[in-house]
Amino acid sequence: MAAAVFFVAALLAIAGGIGVISFRQPIRSVLSLVVVMLALSVLFLLLSAQFIFVVQIIVYAGAVMVLFLFVITLLGPARETGGGRLRFQAGLSALFVIALLGLIYAMFQGVHFRQPEQADLSVFGTVQSIAVGLFTSYLYPFELTSILLLIAAIGAVYLSRRDES
Amino acid sequence: MGTFDVGGSQLDTSWFLLLGAILFAMGTAGVLVRRNPLIILICIELMLNAVNLTLIAFSRQLENLEGQLFALMTMTVAAAEAVVGLAILVDIFRVRDVEDVDDLSELRG
Repeated sequence: MAAAVFFVAALLAIAGGIGVISFRQPIRSVLSLVVVMLALSVLFLLLSAQFIFVVQIIVYAGAVMVLFLFVITLLGPARETGGGRLRFQAGLSALFVIALLGLIYAMFQGVHFRQPEQADLSVFGTVQSIAVGLFTSYLYPFELTSILLLIAAIGAVYLSRRDES
Repeated sequence: MGTFDVGGSQLDTSWFLLLGAILFAMGTAGVLVRRNPLIILICIELMLNAVNLTLIAFSRQLENLEGQLFALMTMTVAAAEAVVGLAILVDIFRVRDVEDVDDLSELRG
């Protein structure tokens, strides 16, 4: 049963990924990316990451993708026209990507997992266990994250204001 | 390779890792091939999602929660990156019409 869920979600994710990189209109790419994110959220649930599952749907598929859609509607439906100035770009890119994929696959062949840490799987990945990790051993990175978000917000406001002079 | 148990049936961790690798390679292909700066940003989001999947798969296999915490950090960084990147794009598009990333090569010198 779990394997069937995995394969359906994985196929959906790969189909969405193909859509992201092959649709000519940006709005279709964004909607394909939403499909990928929803499929990945199902996989997160299979990996018992309940909190990340919720965050993925609300923050990623919800907020970030709506931001992308807003920008696309703001800029108008710019279609992609023609190829670039670099000849052979598609061929070289395909070669590079295949080499990258082969490299990653070769790396997987040498993976030997160490013994699992026998965590209590009934609370693994719940809001409580994530919060305990986030507010004890990872408190400093967590606080730095809030500063990062503040900087991003200020930067976005600064970049998008109208020039008054 | 490691397997783990979901509701009585065994799943192989390497399936998740392979899917993450495929999605990451797709994102790379998109960044390299596409010409529209907006779609390049979208492809970067795809790559970040693939990395998240890998982190969470390792986290489940090793039964160690730190992978999920790192995935959470990745999501935050991705959100910040999307906000600033889109703001820069909107600013550029306001000045002139850009259809191709090659139009933005003045800084080359």
